[in-house]
Amino acid sequence: MASAEQLAGPDELSEEEQEAVETLLFRLADDEFVVAERYTEWQVRAPTLESDLALANIAQDELGHARLWYDLLQDFGPDEPDLIWERPAGEWRHSTLTELPFDEGDWADPILRSYLYDVAEEIRLEALVDSSYARIRDRVGKIQGEEDYHREHAENWLERLTDDDEGTRRVQQALDKLLPYALTIFAPADEEIEARIDELGLRTMSLADMREEWLDTVVPYLEGLGLSVDEAELPEQYDTHHEGLELPDELGRDQSHTDDWDDLYDEFTNTYRDLDRSEATRIMKDPDEE
Amino acid sequence: MDIEEVKQRAGPREFSPKDDLPEKYRKAATRMIQFHANSEIMGAYLERPFIREAPSLDRKLAFSAKVQDEIGHGQLLYRAAESLGIKDREQMLDELANGEGKFLNCFHYPMDSWVETPMIAFFVDGAAMRRQATLKQSSWEPYAHAMDKVCFEEGFHVKHGEAILYELMTGSKSEQERTQAAFEKWWPRIIQFFGPTDDKSTHHDFSADVGLKTMTNDELRNAFLNAYIPKAEKYGLEIPDTPRIRENDDGTYEVEEDDLDWDEFFTIAKNDAPGSHEQIGKRNRTQEAVEWVRNSMDGWESKSAGKTPQAAD
Repeated sequence: MASAEQLAGPDELSEEEQEAVETLLFRLADDEFVVAERYTEWQVRAPTLESDLALANIAQDELGHARLWYDLLQDFGPDEPDLIWERPAGEWRHSTLTELPFDEGDWADPILRSYLYDVAEEIRLEALVDSSYARIRDRVGKIQGEEDYHREHAENWLERLTDDDEGTRRVQQALDKLLPYALTIFAPADEEIEARIDELGLRTMSLADMREEWLDTVVPYLEGLGLSVDEAELPEQYDTHHEGLELPDELGRDQSHTDDWDDLYDEFTNTYRDLDRSEATRIMKDPDEE
Repeated sequence: MDIEEVKQRAGPREFSPKDDLPEKYRKAATRMIQFHANSEIMGAYLERPFIREAPSLDRKLAFSAKVQDEIGHGQLLYRAAESLGIKDREQMLDELANGEGKFLNCFHYPMDSWVETPMIAFFVDGAAMRRQATLKQSSWEPYAHAMDKVCFEEGFHVKHGEAILYELMTGSKSEQERTQAAFEKWWPRIIQFFGPTDDKSTHHDFSADVGLKTMTNDELRNAFLNAYIPKAEKYGLEIPDTPRIRENDDGTYEVEEDDLDWDEFFTIAKNDAPGSHEQIGKRNRTQEAVEWVRNSMDGWESKSAGKTPQAAD
């Protein structure tokens, strides 16, 4: 796939090519936006002032990345309101891992969630470094540079938390809840379009391969912390896509979501609707000029 | 050092942890800085929901960064307070959660709608900037030093609040009307931010004598009104009729104190208003919910003393 031909710029893509690029970008942008939206819930609520600041940093990084990816979607015409504020909840494509609510005080959840998410993020960014689409390729490096410490942050916390019984119990509980949802990161939005994304060389690793690499990383690591990963056998059964597997009913990628997503969506679009807005204020520079 | 010597030497950034200061000074400074630190945290509490409510991606980023800055200021100020040797940070945070810790009057009121956000981010932060700028001259050096960073960042916050205000006041008619209504609700509270006139303030004399404070409430309120009445008018806000504010010939302002609700102010000062219970209750609940993490960290830190990973803060 590395030898795939370079794609044209946004204005010269065929319909099929554009659809593939858009699908890929929505996967990326929606994930970053929604995971950050959830992380910000911990602002002023984290266990210490220091952990508060650190998670807020991570949330802002992810929001910044969402901004970069949505900006590439704007190449095709839609503006920020079309992409975020007025897009119906049922059209979002983020993995359902990102949308799940936190229980109050359940610090193990954001830490484990960010670990599971950031390992996947590293893998999928690596698969974009040689993307055939220059607009994506050009932005990967900047994002990778900011992702470095996210995983380290999560790992340091996991090591701390699993150092005592209560912490281990809490992390295990979070793992039992989150692991099936984390696998939806690699679920296809649409089989045919995902195949096209690979064929066009938009990414250089298929979802199945990324998922395998992800499992090869997270399973031994988590087991090494004394956690049990019952779904360690998942890759094989997963090969038949998402029929009859122990995945949650809502994959996100296929635009199916949990009820919690509807609530979250209503909350973050509330002001926009309440004030009857039709534009979204930009205060930062266009990413192409940064 | 005795109190007389402290008063004699009192000047900008005169005293630091190297000095052997009387307990009376250290307690007064602790009370003042703790109040300031608490206010940063409780202000962030009030603004946090608006990270979610922000109606654009850039505004969301800016709001998240602002709330984060306020927590950072709290962290910095608790450190400056700790350096007086009276209380440690944990004690001050416990006091905040259990309702003993005091904080700014404006942060005892609920904030329900986006149109209210500039009332804090522009007016209250603007008022705070006035006061904080003078505290760069405080006699407790760690406090004055913290103000350098705080003032620098607050400058951005006020701009952020001003931009939101401008946007609302140039928006739809309904946005303008709702913003005006919010302004009328918040205006008296904002004026009370500076506390009662000097003769009613109980702590001023000593803090001024030892150089912790350099300006009186009246001076600060005047400076604020001088700058912010024109700004409010510039954006199309009408200054409410009450409290009555008279402009003197020398350009200073006089606020009709009886037009303000001082019972409410002093109830708030005792953390006893409905909003106080609400905000402090939330703080207490959310802090208790993560108590298990702090316990777990204590265990980790005592076991691995000296090699705690840096990135896990």
